[in-house]
Amino acid sequence: MLQVLQRALMQADPRLSRFTPLPRILSFDDFSNGMSGWTALTGNYEETLDNVLPAFRGMYAPQLSCATHWDTGSHGGLSNSYALKIATRSTRGALNLVLKRLTFPEVCTIQVEFYAAAKPEANELRLSDRDVGSFGILLDLQDPDRTEAPGRRAMPHLKYRNARDGKLIQRWQYKSSVESPHQVGTTGETRSHPHFADEGWQDIQDGHQILCYNELPTKLNWHYVRMAVDLRSMKVTALQCNDRHFNTASIETMVMPAWPNLACMLNICLFCETATDKRCFYYVDSILVSGDWGHE
Amino acid sequence: MNEAYTAVIVRGERWEGDVETEPYEAPWARECVVFIRTLESSASGPSSAQVLISPDGIHWAREGSRVELPFHAGGVAFAKLTNFGHFLKLRASIPTGAWRKVMVTLALKG
Repeated sequence: MLQVLQRALMQADPRLSRFTPLPRILSFDDFSNGMSGWTALTGNYEETLDNVLPAFRGMYAPQLSCATHWDTGSHGGLSNSYALKIATRSTRGALNLVLKRLTFPEVCTIQVEFYAAAKPEANELRLSDRDVGSFGILLDLQDPDRTEAPGRRAMPHLKYRNARDGKLIQRWQYKSSVESPHQVGTTGETRSHPHFADEGWQDIQDGHQILCYNELPTKLNWHYVRMAVDLRSMKVTALQCNDRHFNTASIETMVMPAWPNLACMLNICLFCETATDKRCFYYVDSILVSGDWGHE
Repeated sequence: MNEAYTAVIVRGERWEGDVETEPYEAPWARECVVFIRTLESSASGPSSAQVLISPDGIHWAREGSRVELPFHAGGVAFAKLTNFGHFLKLRASIPTGAWRKVMVTLALKG
């Protein structure tokens, strides 16, 4: 009865009706009231910024954007005038990643749903559909401090590889290979690892999907993406993009022994990467994080 | 309550010669204070950065404000901006042979 009522209330709310959340909503951002806790990532450092790993140095702050273009003006969002914008630098392979930092209230299934669109910078009057390299989502998770088995840090990585070397690829991928951590500084207390690096990604089974690029770099169509992770197994249990529900059985999670001071970590990370010497942008209209805890 | 957001757009980069920051879009912000903090500096030469504004993040015009880069480590300089037309960036000129390592922070409110 409660579930029926909850579902009916959500379906009557235009802001929530387009989502399919698990019973408890942990976070819902449509960027109509600000940045809502989304922030830039920096690589770990000690004493000086000089020991930030190179892969992190190009990252900078997210933007609250009207998706404004030179030819048509503000595109706006799906929900309102604003969207979160993640922008890369204008160097081939440049990646930017922004995140929201939480902890999970209970070991359960966590689901992230969002409406997003990726576009290249519109600084050329041509199609430009092979300029965005990739865009995606990763979670940074760690077991609670008291577990029967040795604690794990787990980082499910999922991305849509759009293009490489001037060729469309249009395929969903995952990454499970662990990048070796680098010691940062001299105290032995700080490490860093470029887990998002472009090496080691593998194709998801039947993961080819053609998205709606829409003819010009200044036309922007929102896409629905949903992923879920079971915090008990740290396995991806759902990946959906619009009408496609992908088989997650073959998706492996990047797992390593627990790191210090990260117990119950739940970081939601969104990123994009450019395939050419041109900025690319990942716009996120709205994002909802939910879980199935506390209903026994 | 107003939205406020502090965006670090340059984090410890070494500036030499002519450099530009990444464009930053802030259509919601009515005001911005651009802070430049020097982390390290070479021994020679005054340096400055000018503010550029844009309607689209691609085509730029000089806004007119200029920030002298602090010479000493820890020094902070700023420019106060309003009505900046949604996109901002900085263009700095460092004299030949000189360099600055800086933080650039936008304190935005709207």
